[in-house]
Amino acid sequence: MRPSGSSKHLACPDCDALFEAPVLKEGEQVLCPQCHALLFHYRRNSLHRASALTIAAGFLFLVANFFPFMTLRAGYRENQMVLSQSVSGLEAQGSPYLGAAVAIFTLVAPTLIIGGLIYLLLPLVASSRRLPGSIPLCRWVYRMRRWNMVEVFLLGALVSLLKLGKLATLTLGISFWAFVGLIICLTAALASIDYRELWARLENAQR
Amino acid sequence: MSAFYPDSAAANGLALCHACGRVERVTLARCPRCDARLHLRNPASLQRTLALTFSAILLYFPANMLPILKVESISGAQANTIVGGVIQFWQSADYPVAIIIFTASVMIPILKIIALLWLCLAARLGRHPLAMTRLYRITELVGRWSMVDVFVVAILVAVVQLGSVISIHPGPAALSFASVVILTMLAAISFDPRLIWDAAAQGEAPHA
Repeated sequence: MRPSGSSKHLACPDCDALFEAPVLKEGEQVLCPQCHALLFHYRRNSLHRASALTIAAGFLFLVANFFPFMTLRAGYRENQMVLSQSVSGLEAQGSPYLGAAVAIFTLVAPTLIIGGLIYLLLPLVASSRRLPGSIPLCRWVYRMRRWNMVEVFLLGALVSLLKLGKLATLTLGISFWAFVGLIICLTAALASIDYRELWARLENAQR
Repeated sequence: MSAFYPDSAAANGLALCHACGRVERVTLARCPRCDARLHLRNPASLQRTLALTFSAILLYFPANMLPILKVESISGAQANTIVGGVIQFWQSADYPVAIIIFTASVMIPILKIIALLWLCLAARLGRHPLAMTRLYRITELVGRWSMVDVFVVAILVAVVQLGSVISIHPGPAALSFASVVILTMLAAISFDPRLIWDAAAQGEAPHA
């Protein structure tokens, strides 16, 4: 049986239907009886899986930020771009607000989500403990999830490749492939987290 | 919004915590587990959604009429609008890219703005709550992909620093367009789909 909170009722966030929490077996989902929203997906060891994927995402995120993302060659000139230059470049060209927005979507949000999840999940999985500040941090991680746009950035990188491909020679760096891996791991990590289980275990964890 | 469906949480004096998903008595004011404020419905949901959507509509004009990218090369300076970029890709037979940019930068923002206005209307009329809730979920899901053009500008500016040969600058539309995307995302977050079901319950109640 799943570890459950003290509340035996569920409410649908989309239509407010109130119903009793069913007991789930491995792989089963809870759909809202009224509006068919997918509310929960129960997988055994969801938090173990999520923490492994998050650690992998963290490594890949570091690699993605410290190695060249793309290299542009035109004639004798060569220019290496690292990820943070997509922020500093905008700032240097007189668009600091745009730079700040790109920084939030591609650097701040993923850092907060990856760092926050590692801080939350590792103590919980290893010894059922929670570190100070875990409750507000968990709220922030959940709130930041839609502002993390790494996959949209990758689509932007592919479009840029096609746009510049005719003017110059572009080669992809290690960072680009790490970034692809980051997206796969982070998406899988976020998809495998059962927030109901996470909150229930945080609540019952030792401090 | 006085009517709730009898089997809804609100009708039973219960609120779903928007942060941690716990169902608690709304009289507690704060969630005992995560300390977030408890509300039956998002506060001032329709007002906020409409205000943010109208701001997005206003900014949509400069976002499309001003250049998003300025390219200076030996062959001269060139300023591209969003639609101009789509046309350029189409003319150079890059059909997949043209379709991606058109979908993300032109179609999704317009459809999202229409969807938000429609949802606000549905929260008043309460017709077809199931279909409208589905529309809300799609609206929330696809909005972020519009940001792709802003990232293209950021990457092009960063990677092209070849001095005199060619230089690329962000245009004024880039910030307007990013604002449109952010505002419509905030509007979708402010919108409370449960209001559609409340309006539907009100419509079903005899002479409510």
